[in-house]
Amino acid sequence: MFKEIFSRELGAALRVPMVYIFTFVFALMAFMAIVSDSVMIGGAIGAVHKNAPHIVTTFVTVLSIFGLLFAVAFFNNAALRDFNNNFDEILFTTPLNKAAYFFGRFLGALVLSTIPLIGVFLGVYLGTLLGPVFDWIPAERLGPTPWEAFLTNYLLFVLPNMFLSGALIYAMAQKWRSTIISFVGALIIIIGYIVSGNLLSDLENVQMAGLSDPFGIRAYSVDSRYFTTVEKNTLAPSFSGILLYNRLIWMSLGLIILLVSYFSFKPQKNPSASRFKLKKKAINLGSGASKPLGALPKVSLHYRGMGWQHFVSFFQDASRSILKNTVFKILAAFALILLSTDLINGFEYFGLKSYPLTYKMLDTIADSSGIFMMIIMVFFSGELVWRDRSSHIDEVIGATPHRAFNQLLAQAFALVYVASFLYLIYAVAAILAQLGQGFTNIELSLYLRQYIYTQLPTYIFYACLHLFIQVLVNNKYLGYFVSVLSLFVLDILWSVLDVSTNMLSLNGGPSISYSDMNDFGPGLVGHFWFTLYWLLFASLLLLVAGLLMQRHKSGNFISRLKQAKISFKGSYALIITSFFVAFSAVAGWVYYNTQVLNSYKTSDEIELLQADYEKKYKSYQNYPMPKITAIEYGIDIFPETRDVDVLAKMMLKNVGTEIIDSLFFTLDEDWETEISGPGVSEAWYDDKFGFKAFAIAKPLLPGDSLPLKITNIYRTKGFANSRGSTSIIRNGTFFNNGSVLPQMGYASNFELSDRNDRKKYDLKPKERMPKLQADSCDDKCMINYLSDGLSDWVSVKTTISTSSDQIAIAPGSLLKEWQEGDRNYYEYLVEQPSQNFYAFISADYQKASRKWNGIDLEVYYDEKHPYNVERMLDAIQKSLEYYTTNFGPYFHNEARIIEFPRYATFAQAFPGTMPYSEGFGFITNLEDEEGNNVVDAVIAHEMAHQWWAHQEIPALMQGATFLTESFSEYSSLMVMKQSSDAIKMREFLKYDMDRYLRGRSGESEKELPLLKVENQGYIHYGKGSVILFALQEMIGSDSVNAALSDFLAAYRYQAPPYPNAHDFMAYLRPRVADSLHYLLEDWIENITLYDFRLKEAELTEEGDLYTVNIDLESFKYRADTLGTENPVLLNEWVDVGFYSDEDEKELFYKKRIYIDEAEKSYRFELIQKPLKVAIDPQRIYIERDIKDNVKAL
Amino acid sequence: MKLIIEGLTKTYANGVKALDNVSLEIGKGMFGLLGPNGAGKSSLMRTLAGLQDADQGTLMLNDIDILKSPQELRKNLGYLPQEFGVYPKITAYQLLNHLAILKGVKNKGERKELVEHLLQKVNLFDKRHKVVKGFSGGMKQRIGIAQALIGNPQLIIVDEPTAGLDPGERNRFHNLLADVGSEVIVILSTHIVDDVRELCTEMAIMNLGRIIYNGGPEDAIATLEGQVWEKRIEREELNDYKNKYQVISEKMIAGKPLIHIQSEVLPAEGFKAVAPNLEDVFFSSIMSSSESVTL
Repeated sequence: MFKEIFSRELGAALRVPMVYIFTFVFALMAFMAIVSDSVMIGGAIGAVHKNAPHIVTTFVTVLSIFGLLFAVAFFNNAALRDFNNNFDEILFTTPLNKAAYFFGRFLGALVLSTIPLIGVFLGVYLGTLLGPVFDWIPAERLGPTPWEAFLTNYLLFVLPNMFLSGALIYAMAQKWRSTIISFVGALIIIIGYIVSGNLLSDLENVQMAGLSDPFGIRAYSVDSRYFTTVEKNTLAPSFSGILLYNRLIWMSLGLIILLVSYFSFKPQKNPSASRFKLKKKAINLGSGASKPLGALPKVSLHYRGMGWQHFVSFFQDASRSILKNTVFKILAAFALILLSTDLINGFEYFGLKSYPLTYKMLDTIADSSGIFMMIIMVFFSGELVWRDRSSHIDEVIGATPHRAFNQLLAQAFALVYVASFLYLIYAVAAILAQLGQGFTNIELSLYLRQYIYTQLPTYIFYACLHLFIQVLVNNKYLGYFVSVLSLFVLDILWSVLDVSTNMLSLNGGPSISYSDMNDFGPGLVGHFWFTLYWLLFASLLLLVAGLLMQRHKSGNFISRLKQAKISFKGSYALIITSFFVAFSAVAGWVYYNTQVLNSYKTSDEIELLQADYEKKYKSYQNYPMPKITAIEYGIDIFPETRDVDVLAKMMLKNVGTEIIDSLFFTLDEDWETEISGPGVSEAWYDDKFGFKAFAIAKPLLPGDSLPLKITNIYRTKGFANSRGSTSIIRNGTFFNNGSVLPQMGYASNFELSDRNDRKKYDLKPKERMPKLQADSCDDKCMINYLSDGLSDWVSVKTTISTSSDQIAIAPGSLLKEWQEGDRNYYEYLVEQPSQNFYAFISADYQKASRKWNGIDLEVYYDEKHPYNVERMLDAIQKSLEYYTTNFGPYFHNEARIIEFPRYATFAQAFPGTMPYSEGFGFITNLEDEEGNNVVDAVIAHEMAHQWWAHQEIPALMQGATFLTESFSEYSSLMVMKQSSDAIKMREFLKYDMDRYLRGRSGESEKELPLLKVENQGYIHYGKGSVILFALQEMIGSDSVNAALSDFLAAYRYQAPPYPNAHDFMAYLRPRVADSLHYLLEDWIENITLYDFRLKEAELTEEGDLYTVNIDLESFKYRADTLGTENPVLLNEWVDVGFYSDEDEKELFYKKRIYIDEAEKSYRFELIQKPLKVAIDPQRIYIERDIKDNVKAL
Repeated sequence: MKLIIEGLTKTYANGVKALDNVSLEIGKGMFGLLGPNGAGKSSLMRTLAGLQDADQGTLMLNDIDILKSPQELRKNLGYLPQEFGVYPKITAYQLLNHLAILKGVKNKGERKELVEHLLQKVNLFDKRHKVVKGFSGGMKQRIGIAQALIGNPQLIIVDEPTAGLDPGERNRFHNLLADVGSEVIVILSTHIVDDVRELCTEMAIMNLGRIIYNGGPEDAIATLEGQVWEKRIEREELNDYKNKYQVISEKMIAGKPLIHIQSEVLPAEGFKAVAPNLEDVFFSSIMSSSESVTL
């Protein structure tokens, strides 16, 4: 009987197209992702194959979320079909075997629901097979067909996920016999997935996140987070690690749910349904015949001017129907739960939390409710449009003399009202969360403005759009499908067609994000116009839908069109026409501003331009150029109009050996540029690329100088398709010298860099950096990596002005300030010639300052962010103390931290000044922090750059950032170490370690040893700091610092040639004992990874003597640039540490042991009782898996 | 007051001819439209209610051209469709109030009075704040007729209103209809002969999209006077009788068929003359119209 039920379940479904359609769609998606570069799923970058096992796993796991849809469809159908077809009474009166029925149906649905995901494998297989044959994709981008990954993916993800979702949905459907409840089951699983994702954001919780995700996706990403290119290309997901535990946990849960459901399953009619019937009977009893009450009361009837009342009545009815709907209540509750977890746990940043600023709350509301709002809009637009018909009251309503459009309009308003109501609830929850955290600066007006600027127009637009779709499509479920498609298919289409105007992207427009400094920012005006444009468009959609709506039941599309033609008359036609005119006018204005006034290039056009620029002008790269030796700026910033006038007088000098007869500039089309100088005349101009050549009448002989004057004017005109400049703004203007002047010479940074892009335009792969030169570097070391060879050490003087409410800041010491008219003027001078690399800033600032050893320590901050200013001054001071003691003097008269708007989140070091984003640091809650924290660490890092990059600057070649970023990160750690113990330092180091291991996993070309780092952040920040910190643990900080300060002394503010990494090694090597020289080779010159495993640990107590025996397994690997690992011989000194507590905080004893064998036992005698033992307790060795480094005793 | 239907024809996309040159003239009072399932009654009703268009023909209510200006018709229409459903989670009062607004009862006080009066009239005043969805079929139909009475309609169309009602509810429903039926045009479409017999002064019989009889019920019965004969027979004989005679109806009485046949003379021994009833008229006319089509 089981076989009969099972095969019937399969057979029935295989006779209808649904399974095939889903399978086809998935196969097509996978196929496109393999053979096309426009479709990106899974992140196959660089040398990672497009069909690599890891990529296929990503496809499957992502798509298995969509698979929930099939789970609902198949399992709900399996459970409810008999009831919905009223076949249950017949079926359950047959001598049916309960187990056969229950499990036959379940397993049938299980097999069915896994079929569509097999389509992914089919797509990958076909893509691999056909892609190279038809030349859609180069063969080297593909690996062999990953059969093993297909199998393990099916067994680890597809089948288990469908089993779990299926068990839950099937059980809920059997219990409550309602499709809506089945959807709730699916939602529960999605919520589980999202919540586990929130956990993943914190490094502490990765294990928890991996285990708690019902899909196992997070478990896989935790297991694979440090995968190298080779591993991505070869390793299929396996039955091991967190993934295995995750699968076991969730499968057991699925099984329990299924069994509970089975034992409580009764093959009979739904008990609750029969209860319902009883109730109906009870009502029936009291009813009697009609009472002869005589004539109806006379009422006056009105047909004109009833529109408003009709609208109100329809509106009340529609909004009531949504608010009372179970699905709505569940969705709203889920969104609220999600929001609450975000509000309670949110705003994590390196283990710290930021203050609950109102704009943070707004972001959180948008993040956690956005998807639910979309679901509500899509779902209830269908519910409302079909409400009359599904309630079978459409003919009664249709027979009343109302205007159909009034009903539609009321439905749109009801959707908007309901969404707004939700927003209100979420805003209240956010405000409560703010108050709960003792935060009282609640900006109610900001909640309101956010609502009016973005939420409300969005609700209106989507309400109208989805209602229109439902009316147009005239089939509820097809309508849902089209609605969901409309949300992203159009954007995919435009991206494939390289259309980037927001005028065609539904509800598109410049993004706006609130900044405490700069309000809603530069995109606001454009946002308003685009909003108006889309609202008018939405109104038109609704009006047209009103025409297409019809009371006639049987009409096909053509008859509806005819009907619409008939209805297009009178005032309705007038309204549509006037809306159309208004829409056209606004569209014209938006078009003029975004396409004519502020034209832009699409991404394909830019790519082509980049390729052509390189082909045409690459030859000018080696043309002899003079260097800038001094600049005097006159800069006027006009924040109100967002305009800037720049006048730069610079001195150029021929420092080379050849005669210079021409100058070349690459101009920025956003600026109007004029260049003049004695005897300098324009030779030719290629305006396509902005490439301009000047002839010098009297060519510059070696040693000759030439004064040059550049005026550069920036004017903000109208509004643009995108947000527009975020550097020239109302409050918080922040631009660096590179953007206020045209680039001299050929701009090599404009070249395409991705090797696949380059291949498309027949360009050879680009070396990220020149090769590291071993010796006699002189002629190849003349260019430093900050100035691209255009300058060395430059003296800079600036006169800068801004509006009267703002302070303008330029590099160097403030010589004088004055007011002229309604403007503020400042004069700055960089007294110590420095790198030609600095910023100009203007905003309405508060200023805090203190003096330390004759240096002005200053923090410029927004008045809303005073929280951490004193701590920042402390941090500057602590850094100065350590660096001046250990590395050498500070050469500026001031050290400034300057807050800038949160359009970018970084801090940066210019000579004497450090811009720091308002998005972090300034708003991080440090009240409960004792000792050091990441805000201090960032400041210490930027301060360290005043030595590493601004006093010593390496040559432009491999290893350059080792000498700046790694040194700075190391310096920062050392400042932290002054007031932190080893355990606290381990917490800091943990983030650097993770950054390195994750970074190498995402490497798109090749990983290099630290010595040859090619400006790769994960290496120079992450690995560099870990290595240098570990080195000072091994040889002592004095030795490392001495090497650093000796190296600095040799190259400080030196003219070229600039130093490279070998030059530094020459200073470091003598400081390392011969016996430890292998460390330099392992850590700096090669890529080396370790794996330590504590296999056994045993404690014996004898009086006050504690003996610990451990069995240790150790491995050491050398990795190549793609991550292939080869074991190498062990020869290591590693610490073994003992904790006196469970939490691994009290490291009371550590002993360095020598490891030269893969398996070795060690014995320790202690006089205090240890609770835990750990290998490498400070985690200074680079290890991917540290779970087995600690054992409880 | 007069509803004139002329040459109304409608063919659906699937080829079914729902209305075939239907012409009727209907005056004040209860008009019964009788026909078997699928005869085209509901198509006619929906067309009359302005919910469906026609391929040919005209529909005039007094001087309103229903097909051209359905909105004018709606101001004078009360309609109870065959399937009268209600919104979930809405009370009887809310539903009637909403429909009263849609029908143009603007004044709030008047509307309240009207709705409450109607609720009392259909004896559901006590249940006015209960959810309609939970009502029994009969109670729902009473709400249905209550809503059809809103807005002083000149034309009330009730489509199959008593299908599925128990005898008690059906009786109550008839009383309600009779109450309002004298002043305006009421078209009652049904396949239950008794509905028409009990309520209507004028009637039409419809089959296969055509009007096959139009007139008073008494006149209809008179046409069959002396032509209807009945006989109890054994079940095995039924087919023989059907072949030999024009059997217009059969029903089981205590396990044996009682057949009515139509014949101008005594058909055979054992037949007994009976006074024709409306049911006989109905079956007789349907049978003859169906035959003419199948021929």
